[in-house]
Amino acid sequence: MKAGKIRLKDIGKPSDQMVQLNPADFMRLPYPYDKADSDPDFKQLTEAQKNKYEASLDGVLAISIPKPETKAEEEELVRKFLSGLEKLLTKENNWTFLQPLTLSLEYCAKCQTCNEACPIYIGSGKQEIYRPTYRSEVLRAIVNKYIKKGGKTFAKFSGNDIDLNWTTVARLAELAYRCTLCRRCAQTCPIGVDNGLITHELRKVFSQEMGIAPVEIHTLGSMKHLKAGSSTGLTPVALMDTIEFLEDDIKDRTGLDIKFPMDKEGADILLIHNAGEFLSWPENPMAFAIIFEAAGLNWTLSSDLLGYDAVNYGLWYDDVQFARVAVRHAQIAKKLGVKKIVIGECGHAHKAISVIADRIINGEINIPRESSMTLLEDLVCKGKLNLDPKRNDFPVTLHDPCNMVRLMGVVEPQRRVVRKICPQFREMEPHGVKNYCCGGGSGFAIMPSMNFPDWRTRISGRMKFKQILDAFQDVIDPGIKKMVCAPCSNCKGAIREIFNHYDAWEKCGIAYTGLVEFIVNAMVDIKEPYIEWPEM
Amino acid sequence: MLLLMLSYLGLAVFIVVVLGKIIKYLRMPLHVRWELYPVPHEKGREYGGSYFEELNWWEKPIKRSSLSQIKFMIPEILFVRALYHDNRKLWYVSFPFHFGIYMVIGCLGLLFIGAIANIAGLSPQSAIPVLLQSLAIIFGAIGLILGTIGAIGLLLRRTFDKDLRAFAAPIDYFNLVFILAIFLTGLIAWFSYDSGLTVSRDYMKGLITFSPVVVGGSSLVAHIILLSLFIMYLPFTHMTHFIGKYFTWHEVRWDDRINTRGSTIEAKVNKLLNVKQSWSAPHMKPGKTWAETATEEVE
Repeated sequence: MKAGKIRLKDIGKPSDQMVQLNPADFMRLPYPYDKADSDPDFKQLTEAQKNKYEASLDGVLAISIPKPETKAEEEELVRKFLSGLEKLLTKENNWTFLQPLTLSLEYCAKCQTCNEACPIYIGSGKQEIYRPTYRSEVLRAIVNKYIKKGGKTFAKFSGNDIDLNWTTVARLAELAYRCTLCRRCAQTCPIGVDNGLITHELRKVFSQEMGIAPVEIHTLGSMKHLKAGSSTGLTPVALMDTIEFLEDDIKDRTGLDIKFPMDKEGADILLIHNAGEFLSWPENPMAFAIIFEAAGLNWTLSSDLLGYDAVNYGLWYDDVQFARVAVRHAQIAKKLGVKKIVIGECGHAHKAISVIADRIINGEINIPRESSMTLLEDLVCKGKLNLDPKRNDFPVTLHDPCNMVRLMGVVEPQRRVVRKICPQFREMEPHGVKNYCCGGGSGFAIMPSMNFPDWRTRISGRMKFKQILDAFQDVIDPGIKKMVCAPCSNCKGAIREIFNHYDAWEKCGIAYTGLVEFIVNAMVDIKEPYIEWPEM
Repeated sequence: MLLLMLSYLGLAVFIVVVLGKIIKYLRMPLHVRWELYPVPHEKGREYGGSYFEELNWWEKPIKRSSLSQIKFMIPEILFVRALYHDNRKLWYVSFPFHFGIYMVIGCLGLLFIGAIANIAGLSPQSAIPVLLQSLAIIFGAIGLILGTIGAIGLLLRRTFDKDLRAFAAPIDYFNLVFILAIFLTGLIAWFSYDSGLTVSRDYMKGLITFSPVVVGGSSLVAHIILLSLFIMYLPFTHMTHFIGKYFTWHEVRWDDRINTRGSTIEAKVNKLLNVKQSWSAPHMKPGKTWAETATEEVE
């Protein structure tokens, strides 16, 4: 099928593949990636993978549903989907989102204003199935035709002409993972319809009723988080070893003798990082420790199960998993008797525990939660640290994590910090609440299986890469070192993959890091530069 | 009399179903927060900031401004600002369509007041009724012309714009043709039969006093029939987004109310956490309450 000819009901018509992804169709990138050969062919699945899993949406696999062997299996999938959909529309099973979902299902005027706001739709070269409205219209048509009374009577006239079969459900499951839930589309809707929310709710039906979710998000994600203490697999014992290593590394790099305060009862602050930082970017929790100690803060880390990993993957796909993690985080803060929880550089953890969990964690475990951006702004901008901005005298741009900015309103604190300590700071366009997602939102950054990483890097992260390149066009020479400040662990993960794929360091001299690294790099009392650039 | 009965029926269905919808949304349970910034009542943070930007935000009074919210909403409602910024092509036809509807509603409101004044004994020739009637003519004329242009424009866009056509269903064309027919019959009636809107005002008076009115012009009869049928049909469609928009913006996008100890939000959350859920995936605990499911050990 060709783009532009796909209609709603095509999702239920079996075919080899609804959409063929061709890099020639993708949105063009700026210099030095503006040549047609800058984008190699899209990574194809093997024949064995295609035979085993349902990949007929776009030839990409995010959740890998095995193909059915019997008719009964097909019918069972459809039956469970409908049963889940019915539950999604009840107060008992979905009080958490019933009103927003109902409104978004009932009021779309099909004006398509949201399409132009979607980095995936635009980045892909306007593939029909990636329109924010396509997925929503399919779900709306299924609800109207198969759930509402008398829905089949005027289905064609009302635009609900869709067949609910195995193909529809399996493709819809994959399609639920072609949106990063950045909600940029919702921001432009004149009525307030939220296609990101519809995607979120669709994922919930698959997870909460059918047990279908990407393995990295569920089994190796939220379940591992609840059982082992961290979705990274880092156990409390391994954490203590890691902390020791970080303390040694701080000593080696800065000469400072810093002991991470662990499980300190009655501390003012319980700092919770995304545990991915300990393993992939240890310089980030180290920098937090250096700053907090220099400022004389009364703080602690927790070594309790879950207490050292701020992530909450349930935010992306499952309300129950979300609640389980949020409650445990709050219980740990209560147990330690801290005054507040401060969330490290992790966007989705910010929104999870500050915004969404606000109506989950109740009573005595309702401990105040604060963004580290706000605290860091206070330390930097009120002169509580001795800083020399000249140490950061290279071009810097700032990435806005969607969860922290558009979805929580923490916009200026990190900007004030960067403006104060980075003399060559320049904004990406658009930025702030109009920012574009890194491409790794809603779990995509941690989903490395099959050919999904190629899709993420080439399509969902494309707009972000374009923004970064545009921001640095005047200094794009690889001899000029420049840095993207990305105060979010998942965003850093996604940006790392984009930069690796396009050799952004080698070809443009662009690297990335978090916010605290810039602060420590500017600290006068630390002799050696803290920011480490990649090797050429 | 039949015409009056149809108008009463249309109004009755409209009021009952619209109220039913509003009650349905109001009775829905408290949902988790799902705001989207900018939230205009955040005073001094027009760039999209929130109270989360304050150090120890829970210790400080939250500065909210209802005025900022009103300043945001007026151009949004009157001029469809979101579309102006994000979909200018569609705004060129959507704005006259919606503004035309507002003007026609304004015209009907003025006719209603004029009719009440008349019933109260004010002569139609006295100053206030003349002013009301003149304003009604201006509102009506502008409204019908803009509405007709907008409805034709929307119909053309829906037909020829490939993005809109891709998702268009027969019902979308039906709705637009229906509305266009109302505007057109109104326009014809005004031109050919009731340019002073005196018959229209008398019809309004008849509606208020339950007394039959002779409407001679077939165009006006057609207009009244179509309008009565439309207001009967409207509440069953997505075109009641004038209700939906209030809830999507005020109750979802801008709902940043905080759950504090002892608050009504806390009480509502407590109640909802004790509701039993029945999700049946392997990691769920169907039959248990949300609180139990969230706090018991996972297997």
